[in-house]
Amino acid sequence: MGKVLCATRGGEASYRTQDAAIALVKERGDQLAFLFVVDVCFLKRSRRAVRPDVVAAEITRMGEFLLQMAQERAERQGVAADIILRRGHLRETLSAAIREHKTDVLVLGKPAGDESALAFEELKNLATDIEARTGIQVIIL
Amino acid sequence: MLGGITRFIRSKTGSLAMLAALMLPLALLHPTTTQAAWPADSSPGRVFSDGPVSLTGRLIDPQGEPIRGAELNLVLNGRPVSTEREGVGAHASAQANTRRWAESQPDGTFVLEVPSQVVGTIKTLSIQVSRTHFRSNEWKIADGLIDRLNQGESVRLPDWELDRKITAGFWVATLAFVAMLVLIALEILHSTMAALLAVAVVLGTSLVGGSICPELFIFDFEGALGYIHFDVIFLIMGMMIVIGVIEETGIFQWLAYQSYRLSRGRPWLLVMILMLITSVASALLDNVTTMLLMTPITIQIAIALNINPLVLLLPEVLASNVGGITTLIGTPTNILIGSYAGLSFNDFFVNLTPGVLLALAALTVYVLLRYRRQLLLHDDGLSQALLNRLREGGRITQPAKLQKAGIVFGIMLLLFVFGETIHLSPAVTAIVGAAAVLLWVKADIEEMINVVDWTTLMFFISLFIVVGAITEVGLISMIADTIGTLVSGNLTVAILVLVWSAAILSGIIDNVPFTAAMLPVVGYLSRTIPGASSQVLFYALSVGSAMGGNTSLIGSSANLVTAGVAEEAGYRLTYLHFLKVGLPAMVITVSIGALWLLIWF
Repeated sequence: MGKVLCATRGGEASYRTQDAAIALVKERGDQLAFLFVVDVCFLKRSRRAVRPDVVAAEITRMGEFLLQMAQERAERQGVAADIILRRGHLRETLSAAIREHKTDVLVLGKPAGDESALAFEELKNLATDIEARTGIQVIIL
Repeated sequence: MLGGITRFIRSKTGSLAMLAALMLPLALLHPTTTQAAWPADSSPGRVFSDGPVSLTGRLIDPQGEPIRGAELNLVLNGRPVSTEREGVGAHASAQANTRRWAESQPDGTFVLEVPSQVVGTIKTLSIQVSRTHFRSNEWKIADGLIDRLNQGESVRLPDWELDRKITAGFWVATLAFVAMLVLIALEILHSTMAALLAVAVVLGTSLVGGSICPELFIFDFEGALGYIHFDVIFLIMGMMIVIGVIEETGIFQWLAYQSYRLSRGRPWLLVMILMLITSVASALLDNVTTMLLMTPITIQIAIALNINPLVLLLPEVLASNVGGITTLIGTPTNILIGSYAGLSFNDFFVNLTPGVLLALAALTVYVLLRYRRQLLLHDDGLSQALLNRLREGGRITQPAKLQKAGIVFGIMLLLFVFGETIHLSPAVTAIVGAAAVLLWVKADIEEMINVVDWTTLMFFISLFIVVGAITEVGLISMIADTIGTLVSGNLTVAILVLVWSAAILSGIIDNVPFTAAMLPVVGYLSRTIPGASSQVLFYALSVGSAMGGNTSLIGSSANLVTAGVAEEAGYRLTYLHFLKVGLPAMVITVSIGALWLLIWF
């Protein structure tokens, strides 16, 4: 039995990707885990003093909430999913989580319009880079 | 030993000695009879003294600002009097100012001594003045004044206005300032890095280039440091420490969750409560911290209600940008304005709060209309497990610490309000509060020092120097002249021009450097426009620069951090999306703010 890791931000735009990942593990008979990465590098855009540790703790709480929602979503579709939460830069943290959890397939969500966090080209670059770093299959759904 | 001292004080001799010791400083402070004095029948400009005969006056620039560091020389009967200058040195000193040459003081005043041996024989007399960034000039003293000098009378001259001169240093300082704004606006460099680079260019050119080509000289290092407002630096630092403790107690998250409970899941009511909370918290603490800590739980609440989190987040951040205006500590621009114009916590509160409340009311109506479809939905479809997690996220995590920090902050607020009566400046209050927090609430000094954002403080220090450079070379004077001509002495036009230009520019460029650069301009306009002495133009700058932050995503730091957290949850707030919602909000609130200023003043 393989392991599918679905990187998710948890918002509405992620539901489609989560559903696709759930369908994929059902089809393959694999295990599913949802991953949320807390990356507070956006704080550099602010000039005002903020404590990265306090902000990271708050986003971690939010991440746990969003992951739990994804878990319940999977459960409703008959799949038991694990949840993983990591702090750090997206690219490095994804690679580290893949190795740590002995993942076979990484699922990333296709950008859903202008308001997606990553453009499709950026996402493809990310996928190629992770494949090169870890040797696993990355699927953009 | 102590007993001996006590006995001595209690004795008669000791009491007299104590009294003498206490009286000595008073005696020293009391003016002596040998100092210059105005005789009862004297007219302005006439000074009789027992000392040497002297010429006194004041140098000002075209805006009436004093000119310091100008070199003045006497030309007596057609010949410069320069022999006394030897050995005096290049810099101003008390001794230098009583010689035949002088350097003008920070308040622009100078004193030139007329050689006693020539008193009574003066036929022609003039003063030569030279100063970087100003045209050299010679002032011929009128015959009537020469007669008075010949009679041994010291003369006070009327203020002397010098014309500006554009030097190579002008272009260096101007380009450095503009480049800094562009680098920040386009996010090519971090704001602190951009400001530091501008300082390096300005000081490097001035000190190294100035020694090769005097035209490149802007100011010396001492002159540059003179432009730093250390009260601003200490106020921001003190507030950072206090907020650093408050922010980890969970108070913001608790407030957000209580809003959810109070609204009983009705989004229209929830958004109104959240707007009120963020505006008050922004006024008392700061809007970036408020939004950073409110945003994650707001997203969870929005998801719980099955509405797009941006429907709650955008109104929150718009309200936080408006609410901060009501106090001196609410926005960095208010801190700058308060320091420059001497406006207190109460001044901002009394003069701006009603206008801000009106603007917030209009903003709320706008938000309710804009998001009416989403806000009328009511879908509380979360599982019990998720509701429990939401409740868990909205609790106060460190109640004991919050209690202590709350007491300290409450006392700080009282000192901000009443501190003026005991000569306590806001900067000192902030430092006292920070010290209290360090001593009572959290003793770990290392951790708390890390809470201070030194890059922000470095940004402000660098910014003051760069703005000082453009002030020194005359760019600010030119801008002041242009605006002065544009408004042609009309206060209403000046208010409207300032509010709207500040609002529009704040949506495009960083409002902090913009405000810092505008302060001397507004100072000039406040002195020259009839009726502007009420400082209304400074309030106009405050309203415009803060409410203007609502125009675009880059208009304020609070907008950017809110977008950052929302993006973490997969809700991207694009520049265009923000503009569509923020621009009308800016127009509404700035219109009300400007109207309020016109009515109130």
